[in-house]
Amino acid sequence: MVMGASGSKLEKALGDQFPEGERYFGLENFGNTCYCNSVLQALYFCIPFREKLLEYYANNKTPGDAEENLLTCLADLFMQVSQSKKKTGVIAPKRFVQRVKKQNELFRSYMHQDAHEFLNFLLNELVDILEKESSAAKDSPQSSSPEKVPNGPVQPLANGVRKEPPVTLVHKNFQGILTNETRCLRCETVTARDETFFDLSVDIEQNSSITSCLKNFCSTETLNAEDKFFCDKCCSLQEAQKRMKIKKAPHILVIHLKRFKYIEQLGRYKKLSYRVVFPMELKLSTSDDVDTEYSLFAVVVHVGSGPNHGHYVSLVKSHNHWLFFDDENVEMVEESTLQTFFGSSHEYSGNTDHGYILFYEGLGGKS
Amino acid sequence: MHRVGSAGNTAGSSRPRKEKRFTYVLNDADNKKHCAGINCLSYLKASTSGTSDYLFTGSRDGTLKRWESKNGVPSFSATFESHVDWVNDAIVVGQNLVSCSSDTTLKVWNSLSDGACTRTLRQHSDYVTCLAAAENNSNICASGGLGGEVFIWDLDSALAPVAKSVDAKEDETPNGNCGPALTTLCNVNSSSNLASTNGQSHGYSPIAAKGHKDSVYALAMNDTGTLLVSGGTEKVVRLWDSRTGSKKVKLRGHTDNIRALLIDSTGRFCLSGSSDSMIRLWDLGQQRCVHSYAVHTDSVWALASTPSFTHVYSGGRDQSVYLTDLGNRESVLLCTNEHPVLQLSLQDDMIWVATTDSSVHGWEAERENPENLFKKGGSFLAGNLSFSRARASLEGSAPVPIHKEPSSVMPGIPAIIQHEILNNRRHVLTKDTAGSVKLWEITRGAVIEDFGKVPFEDKKKELFEMVSIPAWFTMDARLGCLSVHLDTPQCFSAEIYAVDLNVAGAQEDLKINLAQETLRGLLVHWSKRKQRSGSHGLSNGDTSTGKDVSLRNLPHPRSEVDDGAENHASQMLPSFEFSTVSPPSIITEGSSGGPWRKRITDLDGTESDIPWWIVDCVEHNRFPKENTKCGFYLHPAEGSPAPNITQGKLSAPRILRIHKVANYVVEKLDRPLDGNADSTFAMGLTSGQSQFSALDSSSRLGLKPWQKSKPSVEILCNSQQVLLPEMSLATVRAYVWKKPEDLILNYRVVQSR
Repeated sequence: MVMGASGSKLEKALGDQFPEGERYFGLENFGNTCYCNSVLQALYFCIPFREKLLEYYANNKTPGDAEENLLTCLADLFMQVSQSKKKTGVIAPKRFVQRVKKQNELFRSYMHQDAHEFLNFLLNELVDILEKESSAAKDSPQSSSPEKVPNGPVQPLANGVRKEPPVTLVHKNFQGILTNETRCLRCETVTARDETFFDLSVDIEQNSSITSCLKNFCSTETLNAEDKFFCDKCCSLQEAQKRMKIKKAPHILVIHLKRFKYIEQLGRYKKLSYRVVFPMELKLSTSDDVDTEYSLFAVVVHVGSGPNHGHYVSLVKSHNHWLFFDDENVEMVEESTLQTFFGSSHEYSGNTDHGYILFYEGLGGKS
Repeated sequence: MHRVGSAGNTAGSSRPRKEKRFTYVLNDADNKKHCAGINCLSYLKASTSGTSDYLFTGSRDGTLKRWESKNGVPSFSATFESHVDWVNDAIVVGQNLVSCSSDTTLKVWNSLSDGACTRTLRQHSDYVTCLAAAENNSNICASGGLGGEVFIWDLDSALAPVAKSVDAKEDETPNGNCGPALTTLCNVNSSSNLASTNGQSHGYSPIAAKGHKDSVYALAMNDTGTLLVSGGTEKVVRLWDSRTGSKKVKLRGHTDNIRALLIDSTGRFCLSGSSDSMIRLWDLGQQRCVHSYAVHTDSVWALASTPSFTHVYSGGRDQSVYLTDLGNRESVLLCTNEHPVLQLSLQDDMIWVATTDSSVHGWEAERENPENLFKKGGSFLAGNLSFSRARASLEGSAPVPIHKEPSSVMPGIPAIIQHEILNNRRHVLTKDTAGSVKLWEITRGAVIEDFGKVPFEDKKKELFEMVSIPAWFTMDARLGCLSVHLDTPQCFSAEIYAVDLNVAGAQEDLKINLAQETLRGLLVHWSKRKQRSGSHGLSNGDTSTGKDVSLRNLPHPRSEVDDGAENHASQMLPSFEFSTVSPPSIITEGSSGGPWRKRITDLDGTESDIPWWIVDCVEHNRFPKENTKCGFYLHPAEGSPAPNITQGKLSAPRILRIHKVANYVVEKLDRPLDGNADSTFAMGLTSGQSQFSALDSSSRLGLKPWQKSKPSVEILCNSQQVLLPEMSLATVRAYVWKKPEDLILNYRVVQSR
């Protein structure tokens, strides 16, 4: 471990305000691994996730001959930080990154990677590992499929049909349920299909807010013209209205802003630098008219003008102060700094630092 | 992780096709009954006393029917068959019946005729959902549909004879098609749209009422035809000047799709029914909503008012018909139906109710004196908010209907709501709205077994057959009955041995192409009449290939040269004979005009708008020879002392049975079969591939070939599995081999018993 210059600066800044038991470590960049570092910081400071992961690891760790996997590497890394004697410093997450590259060839190159894709991959990989370990422990063969979709609101499982997979700590923290409702405009029958999610990818507009983006996400889309809906009741193609509703709000709400858009005329992806305001406190309404309140605790920021070059940094809230993590560097910042990451109202402003993935924690108890 | 999903499933609708599709629609009852829900009703009162009233029904089965009503007892009178998709609305305008359909056309019929279509009007680009006419002006008609399209038609102009042109179309063609319509707007009173001078056919264009942003689901017109109201998913009632198509007023209030509209005779008031379950009364003069009535507990889809506009009958998704006094808000439940109500037609003492069921019921009602119906009590006051439960009932909490039973019925047959194509690709299992499960043989359009009300999935499993036949047709039940779609060239990929269809005297290796014979069966009347009228020189371009022996080579005393068509007809195989009592209809499209529909028994031979590939197949025996062969290797089984008998890959029809392969091996090994030593076979052996041909030309009848002899050779696949002799090569490939590589079969000798 290396003691970065910023480390001591941070300790000085916090003084005896330095939270008991907390550790603030930068992560070394191996060339292009900022996509990984920024997400790791956000996950580390997702306290319920960190605690559950470390707890699981402590209880299920078989020493020595245990086969290494992404879960063990992640837990090891978290442990390294949380159990470090020093309060600040820099860690090289070598083992972890090696493991990532081994598991997924997408991340093997030295090209620019996408942080959201990495988060997606990591969470699903953890789920796979946890489910396998759980079924192995129960010693009964179970069909494991990582993303089981519940059958719908009021459908009981028939006898002998597949059992529900164990609910992993990843599900407990990040999983929410969306209901996809389609209403045939002829017979007006509504077909609802539930989908689980670990994050919501929302389209963005210039000078908008996360609240309006979420509203659009749940807005009604019409299926018509060449794109009619095949209604099973009418046995034919009819116009239909489709919308998404959030059925179950997750404990940790992760919102991915779709800043990278494929532009037909250019034949490539472009980064949208739209100004999208995100609040510190967010309210999410679910289909049963229940409101869940959330508090922002981490933001992964994409720095750069295009999708193929750029840098990721993250901002994290820990014990009521905000920290800025830029690979090895860790600094304390004012909460107002977050506003600089909303995006730019103008196409060619100098500012290319834009909020990309938002992490909100639900208030009102853990799931 | 969530990604916003793409649009909902569309069942393979807009795949670009090179050639026109050919569809046939099956029916297992006579065409005096509808076989799908009734979308619309229109009444024609007797013109003079002594003549009958007529009721017209338009159905999701694509047809309209006329019913003669004598003293409230209806009887079938005629079928109007030409639309190729749901009939959505129909109105009687003067002498004409005008209908509109999801096939994007309007059709005009002589209402008292035998069902001939006078004209097809093509203007809409998407489903046409509704029509409106003026009580006192039989020349005007309006149509509305998806995409916000609304057109106002001058019927005289629309129906006028089209001026001569290079490809002149008759007024009354079998298909009722009119020339291509222009998209320019023109004034309805000008006669300049009828180009008669320059010899070119311009046709007529209706007035477009532009302004609807979203789809239109309801229309109404005032008595003189000067005002038009429209409503749809935009949730506003729009008012138009129907003389010019210009928009006048937008009336807001409803919170969901508007599905029904009425205008009173003065043109002052308008009633609307919406999916927000409310009925609203609008004052068009003051441009505001006067009242809203919370009568229904679900969407309102149908309205019918009394002539004085004091009362309205309404029906909808809650399957109920209510009568509401618009003045004092009193509402009474007339009846509850077993299906959602789609349309109402109010006559003097009867209200006809059309639902998603194929039967139409008539209930006693009052047209001139609706207040009589309130005398029995049981009414409640309709609140003015859709979610208000403020129904003050005079007797109980849930309203009790005035009538328990309808007084009249126009019966229909249950619609098919579920279907499954069985593996042999000739049989289809269906389930209808009554719960009956039936088995159809679609090559002759008949029900071969009616299982009654049994669980569909169980029966499906029970009928499972381990066979593999190419998918030579697709199917849907959009019209409430089975529509079979044939597309070339893939429809020609399925064959069957003639002996399997019990064709008397057929050679053992004679193969029949399922699509070809089905098409011949469907067009037998067309072919016959065409031949008789001599409109086409009969050509005997007999270009059938050598291997696929056509039926003409069956031992039958006749000359092959001259009278092919006649003998085609007379040689119809029973397996492909369609009923003439309940004949199927064909839906197809030629090179000009649009799609059309006709019963096969109504084909008179003059129809030229049939796709060329169909004509080629039926008349000239020409069709794409799809790959009907299967390549495979035949080697001794592991551990078997039997010698190698083949060189390289063999090729045989996919439908060749394993017992033939066994016989082949036996022959090659020079081992005699029980008591039949004189088997001769012709095998064109070339260095590369060999072809199979008839092996056992013995004349033993009765038992199926594989039941006759006990071959002393077993054929295996995947080295262990002994194959059943009746399996075809295709079946072995699909169910046993299951690999993309060429099939490998093994053989071994077994001890004779």
